[in-house]
Amino acid sequence: MNLSRRAFLSRSSIGIALAGAAMAVPALGAVIKTSAAADKVSMPNGDVEPLVAHVRDLSSGEVSLMVGTEQVVVRDANLAARLYGAVFARKGR
Amino acid sequence: MSSHREAPAIAKDPVADSTDLYAFVSPDAPGTVTLIANYIPLEGPDGGPNFFEFGDDVLYAIYVDNNGDAAPDVTYRFRFKTQIRNPNTFLYNTGPISAIDSPNWNRPQLYSVTRVAHGTETVLGDHLACPPCNVGPRSTPAYSALAQSAIHNLSGSHGKVFAGQRQEGFYVDLGSIFDLGALRPFQDLHLLPLPPVAGVNGTKHLNVHTIALQVPISDLTRDGSSTFAGVTDPRAVIGVWTAAYRRKAMIRGDGDDIESGPWVQVSRLGNPLFNEVIVPMSAKDRWNELPPASDSKFVQYVQHPELAKLLPVLYPGVFPNLAGATGSRDDLVAILMTGIPSGIVAGFQNFTGTTLADMLRLNMAIPPSTSPSILGLIGGDAAGFPNGRRVADDVVTIELRAVAGVTYPLVNPGFTPDGAAGVIYDVEDPATNTAPLSYLGSFPYLNHPESGFDVPS
Repeated sequence: MNLSRRAFLSRSSIGIALAGAAMAVPALGAVIKTSAAADKVSMPNGDVEPLVAHVRDLSSGEVSLMVGTEQVVVRDANLAARLYGAVFARKGR
Repeated sequence: MSSHREAPAIAKDPVADSTDLYAFVSPDAPGTVTLIANYIPLEGPDGGPNFFEFGDDVLYAIYVDNNGDAAPDVTYRFRFKTQIRNPNTFLYNTGPISAIDSPNWNRPQLYSVTRVAHGTETVLGDHLACPPCNVGPRSTPAYSALAQSAIHNLSGSHGKVFAGQRQEGFYVDLGSIFDLGALRPFQDLHLLPLPPVAGVNGTKHLNVHTIALQVPISDLTRDGSSTFAGVTDPRAVIGVWTAAYRRKAMIRGDGDDIESGPWVQVSRLGNPLFNEVIVPMSAKDRWNELPPASDSKFVQYVQHPELAKLLPVLYPGVFPNLAGATGSRDDLVAILMTGIPSGIVAGFQNFTGTTLADMLRLNMAIPPSTSPSILGLIGGDAAGFPNGRRVADDVVTIELRAVAGVTYPLVNPGFTPDGAAGVIYDVEDPATNTAPLSYLGSFPYLNHPESGFDVPS
């Protein structure tokens, strides 16, 4: 996946920074795979670093998740759609 | 320039922009090799109140390949951390900085050095102090002593390190060379002629930020050896490059910027001028993102360099033999991408194998020259560029002459270089064997930075 830093910042895509203690860092894959039942996901203890999510192309369903120096790329059309949906719902579209 | 502002993207990111790379057997410590990577091009010495500094958000690295695969075998990583001592003043310094730990220096920068070899990371130094920038006689009196105190020994007898501002040691007639390839001393022969005048060092009175290491030869070789069975010993040859990285994602605002994701390479440098002059504009940014092991995809630009086609056009009638040379420039491929094999230049080789990669190749079995030529190998001095690169080597003239054809007979004996190919230069006639700058005789070799007070932009 050609995801340069500049492309990440400039191309028409969605990047969402979620800063705070509410994200399940050690079990990112599990979080995504069970996203339909997020309430069942156990949360990590202690402080966690911010999480950045990037959807380059909604149609691919590919979501890049970055925490610290790690990057996990998952293909989850539902998750990608819900991220877009969260944005457009706020904008009333 | 060597690699200053050489690609569109990195030109907008000077803190991560590698400008020059040097590698040479230390003339005053021949059991060691000095590796120097410069960053932040064209620093005006008076550029305050926020004077130049390394990027806390940049990972800097110097790589050494010692087995010819263009992959790192020894890596040195550098991370910087800037402090603010007094948050309530706009001043860089609140009084004279007479010592490197002076409380008057309001924005000191510290750094760590990590060596990676055989899969093991070893921190060789931490909380090491950079010197301040050379502000002026009131703020940074006795600068040379101040800078000297910023030379640190690395743990475990792994050598020493310096990171901080230096005088720009690379010389080039910037204003002329980028005005349609003009060489002032020969511009009467240019397609758009002007009267010939002396060359100008466009980087005079500018500074740069230097990361310099002086490490034992045994730290760099594949088997830990420090002596070799002559110049032809393949263990003696290393390939060197530097690279800078930023985090993949950055979210600005909301009080604190957030950086996240893996480190992404944004700048790379091996041989001077490779990305600047060889790689076309459309590929420069991509080249900066790639490792040397990917350089085979750029070999056509070395085999048929654009500059070799331009010279006969820009200087009509001056380079007729070059104009007629249509074959692959395998001399340049050897110089820049594989090293020069044995049997090409008597008593010399710096061949790393058939892997095509832009690395600065150094044969460490060749001792420092007692009478160095700034023209390096083409000046009969095998201790200079393209056998590594020393701080005073006139790499612009060397590469101009090489591209113009002086090295082509090494692989094509039927080619006769044009007379001009062996005499062109841009700043000063190298026949004087004098660089237009002065350097230090010992580590870190690049001279103390120009003072902002003395050299306003």
